[in-house]
Amino acid sequence: MKILLQTAVVTLGLSLIVAAPAQAQGSAGQQGTPGNALNPGNSERGVPSDPEGTGIVVGSRSPTGLLTVAPTLEKAASTTASGLRYRAKIEFGASGLSGDEHAAKFREYKDLPSGAYPNNFAVSIEKPKSAFHFDGVGGGVTKNDQYYGFDVGKYNTWRVRGSFSEVPHFFTSTYDSLWSGVGTSTLTLSRLVPGGTTNANTTQAAMQSVIASTSQGDVDLTRQKSRTRVDLTLPSNWKAYASYTRERRDGSRPFGAVFGGGGGGGNLEIPESIDYNTQDVLAGVQFAGTQTNLTVQTTASFFHNDIDTLTFENPLFITTNTIAGVPSTTFTRGQFDLYPNNRAYNVRGEIVQKLPHFLKSRVTGVFAGGQMRQNDALIPPALEPLTGGTINGVSTTGVWNTTNALSQTTADRQIGTRLADVGIVMNPSRDFTVRGKVRYYGTNNESSDYVACNPLTGQWGRLLNNGSGGSFVTPNTAAGNNPPGTLNTGYNGTACNLAATRALGLAPNVGDVPIRSAPYEYSQTNSVVSTDFRLARSSSLEAAFERENFSRPYREREKTWENKVRFAYVNRGFDSGTLRVSYEYGHRRGGDFVAAPLADFYSGSLGPAPVANGTNMTTFVRNVDQLRRFDVADRNQNIFNVRFNHGIGSMLDASVGVQVRDLDYPASEYGSNQQQRLTTPSFELDWQMSATSNAYGFYSLQTGHLQQAGVQTTGTCTIGNSGVVASNFSSLCATASATSPLFPISRTWDVSQKDHNGAGGLGFRYELGRVMTEVAYTYTKGRTGVTYEYDPTALGINATQAALAGNGFSDLLFEQHICEATAVVPIAPRLSLRLLYWYERGKIHDWHYDGIDVNPMPANNGAYLDVGAQSYKTHWFGALFRFDL
Amino acid sequence: MYQFVYWVLSFIAVAAPVQNQAAPVQSAQVTPAATYIGEARCIQCHGQENKHFSGTLHAMTFRLHPANPLQSRSCEACHGPGSNHARNATDKTALIGFTKKWGTPVATQNGQCLTCHDGGARMHWAGSNHDRSNLSCADCHNTMQNASANSLLARKNISDTCAQCHREQRADFRKRSHMPLPEGKISCVDCHNPHGSSTRSLLNADSVNDVCYTCHTEKRGPMLWEHAPVRENCVNCHQPHGSNHDKLLVAARPYLCQQCHNLSVGHNSTFYRDGQTAEGALLGGGQSPRIIGRTCQNCHSQIHGSNHPAGARFQR
Repeated sequence: MKILLQTAVVTLGLSLIVAAPAQAQGSAGQQGTPGNALNPGNSERGVPSDPEGTGIVVGSRSPTGLLTVAPTLEKAASTTASGLRYRAKIEFGASGLSGDEHAAKFREYKDLPSGAYPNNFAVSIEKPKSAFHFDGVGGGVTKNDQYYGFDVGKYNTWRVRGSFSEVPHFFTSTYDSLWSGVGTSTLTLSRLVPGGTTNANTTQAAMQSVIASTSQGDVDLTRQKSRTRVDLTLPSNWKAYASYTRERRDGSRPFGAVFGGGGGGGNLEIPESIDYNTQDVLAGVQFAGTQTNLTVQTTASFFHNDIDTLTFENPLFITTNTIAGVPSTTFTRGQFDLYPNNRAYNVRGEIVQKLPHFLKSRVTGVFAGGQMRQNDALIPPALEPLTGGTINGVSTTGVWNTTNALSQTTADRQIGTRLADVGIVMNPSRDFTVRGKVRYYGTNNESSDYVACNPLTGQWGRLLNNGSGGSFVTPNTAAGNNPPGTLNTGYNGTACNLAATRALGLAPNVGDVPIRSAPYEYSQTNSVVSTDFRLARSSSLEAAFERENFSRPYREREKTWENKVRFAYVNRGFDSGTLRVSYEYGHRRGGDFVAAPLADFYSGSLGPAPVANGTNMTTFVRNVDQLRRFDVADRNQNIFNVRFNHGIGSMLDASVGVQVRDLDYPASEYGSNQQQRLTTPSFELDWQMSATSNAYGFYSLQTGHLQQAGVQTTGTCTIGNSGVVASNFSSLCATASATSPLFPISRTWDVSQKDHNGAGGLGFRYELGRVMTEVAYTYTKGRTGVTYEYDPTALGINATQAALAGNGFSDLLFEQHICEATAVVPIAPRLSLRLLYWYERGKIHDWHYDGIDVNPMPANNGAYLDVGAQSYKTHWFGALFRFDL
Repeated sequence: MYQFVYWVLSFIAVAAPVQNQAAPVQSAQVTPAATYIGEARCIQCHGQENKHFSGTLHAMTFRLHPANPLQSRSCEACHGPGSNHARNATDKTALIGFTKKWGTPVATQNGQCLTCHDGGARMHWAGSNHDRSNLSCADCHNTMQNASANSLLARKNISDTCAQCHREQRADFRKRSHMPLPEGKISCVDCHNPHGSSTRSLLNADSVNDVCYTCHTEKRGPMLWEHAPVRENCVNCHQPHGSNHDKLLVAARPYLCQQCHNLSVGHNSTFYRDGQTAEGALLGGGQSPRIIGRTCQNCHSQIHGSNHPAGARFQR
């Protein structure tokens, strides 16, 4: 029997070695140990502690002062006649699940089993003579959260590691799907007429009937990721390594689709099909000498989307926009160009040179360069030929359902990345350290200049949403803006040549039509100087200054700079504790703020601004001038951190931490404004009652607050009205003021979001004789209140609407309780029974989904098919036998 | 706020002398005259320690295939030559210890580990956040037992080890939307290198976006039509660890989008309110697709960038 078992273990080990590369056809990049909800980190669970403890020192603590965890009793390895040492275990049994086990939130990232079930296994083989070792682990076998891993090699010589991990991701379990073919490139309506029937109301009634009789189902995807890595120890302190990772994502997720020109044309929730494959390759060499460390590494990553284009049948009776002469029932289908295939490359070199004779210094340099690129084939703007239609008087027949309608047929996008980081650490004396560092990171957009213009018609702008809408610019034909006789087709004869079109000197009719894609890029330089002073034997003070410079072409503020000062204090001198305190102040400012940084990329740049009285200039104005986008706005920032832990007696740890982040945007009237604060105090107790029992408790309370303001537009910015003239329209209309024709401050609204979160846990482990019990309970409650202030009269909100609006929404709420209880009963020296109980209760409320279940079509051309997350309560029981070989 | 800072600084001022009294003044440098005595001698007293150490990767490596003579000394490879300790077990200067009580300076402890582990992933340890916070390798690693499945961690897995200090993040991971860390499918080191990196947040890539692209490769693009804050930094809109909102967003939509968008035309400057939900529509509130479900992304669904020729507003 024993020989049989030995053979089984060795065979299983060898089969894993063979199987792992095959499984590697599934994935990429997980750095940590694989695991799942029942086996987090693949750590041993339900294993009795060693009553003898750690050894001579009782209540041993880490250098920071936290108690060392009590060691467990590992089963001794068996040895074959040939000297092979091995150890193996498998945990299997039966389990049952009851309650709301189909709720998406419960299943979000896990797959608790029901029925007979192998929970986990581990195999360890070692050949001492040759220093060969093999370890194999696995868990969640056959489930959607299964994982496997192996580690084989010869100590200090070579090592091959592999892992496979599957992650489920449930977005919703209450989705009313109207289509067949979910998960493929084509969604076909099952019970509805594409394009709708008769009118929007008739179509709505038909859709409501079908939705009401449709069973709710899941929308989810699965991520399978595997990785193989080889490490070789080479002579003379060199090492080489290489890895290959592959990831597959398969499934679907809720997605929005719109028709017409945008809001109001018709919107629909569809299931986006997902079929992604990613392959990553990495290779590098390292040198670790006494004075010099060096790493040279290269990576390549390839993403492939097997559903590059998603076509779906449209059940709505939509409202078209811009296009004339094409009935709305023509638009029976919609099409998305989903994420394109892409690839990325990176080469990096890192070097550390120690200079022991120069202030005991250490110089570090990191240099890297990379590129992200994609050149996917573009798709035609329209699916249908649009026969008989016109846009601004130009026929649409057969000139938009071809890639000849595009200025280029492939995307031709690429962005380069560059990193240079040089630092030095000097230790002039034992009690004094000085550090300096300069880091540059930048992206360089090398994409081609894509212009939105149809070479077949010469029209500038875009056909929207598969032809059901449009966004085009023509010369302004109002008298006084262009030479008499200028036609609205005046731009169409330049063969989509931007310079030639601009050279015509014709004022456009609108200013906000995108005519080019913007090549966003940025660079960031951080310069840091810091010093450490040793105040006493176990305490030190750090002072640091950092300057950060950002450059962002095409953003509202091209240059920003931030000065940061930081002080940190560490005191390790407490008998059984450590205090760490830090404070950082950041002061960000920048250059001139430009409300319309992309003017060159919009139709307003095609010619001079219109000047004639009566011309509506609203589209030539962009954001309200006083809005400051938070990532480039002036900002004052205070960050304060305290962490303190101390032993109470020899076997109890107490820890407390407080983190405060305080942001202020002093120059922002609109957008994120005022003070934002996030405060998180945390407490923890860890009591090791004996070598075999412990208890713990922790709680974190987080409160947050952020404030923002906006101003709702009204009317138009028309030359000749409200004091608007050609020379002042930009400043007068774009500035919010009491008399602004576009942004009157009476229409200002303020929104405040307040978070209040608590997360805590309690648990204990107790061994009563041979029976070990363990209970772990975690609790979280998150609440976000959204409140607002506004003037209903100025905003034209009627009494009924104002009464419903009140001063805010009902709170967003999430509450979860998870309790895991375990009892382990030894049956024989190598056999034990683990009884598990997992209780989970979740309560969720999100006002975004209020009423969708009873009113999925609140407008006659809009349908919401995801009812939203559901509250749930589940119980899971398991009886698992653990067998150790 | 400033009062609080004052209070804390006052506490530090008081605490500093206390620590000086508590910590014995001693030199943790190993006495030069100490000599190696071999692990058999160590085990005579430390049999229980050896029982748990024997199953560790260090023990296997040192005993079965040491890379150099130092590793072959097993216990003394890390603790230094033990002759003085064997003579006087209470002399804390006679041996390098990795516990609070023993009091060996952290720099000495870490230097001992870096004897073998310098370079590679530890290349940026010097000057890293954790180094500057005076963290010892032994704060996160316990080389004397297999408390974790691998990496000789101080706690049973990576996430628990990091949560010894990073409790805010532990709370974040319990929020409504979070990365699948409590479910055991990722760990902190999927995004961070705790041993140091060239980034401020110890990221294991050169920028936040490069970290995110590790798993979200589809969003790498670049796209035909790009969204500036997306291209620059994912955390402009997303909380990396967890959030009270859907999709780890930093704020509720549509207000998140309206932090940046207040244009002269269109609907993005509009004040949206309660009563515009699907429920409110039944009561006369006037529905808005900017409030219901995924709000702005009901229409602007390709918010991470679009490759469709009509995708400038991220609708296709």
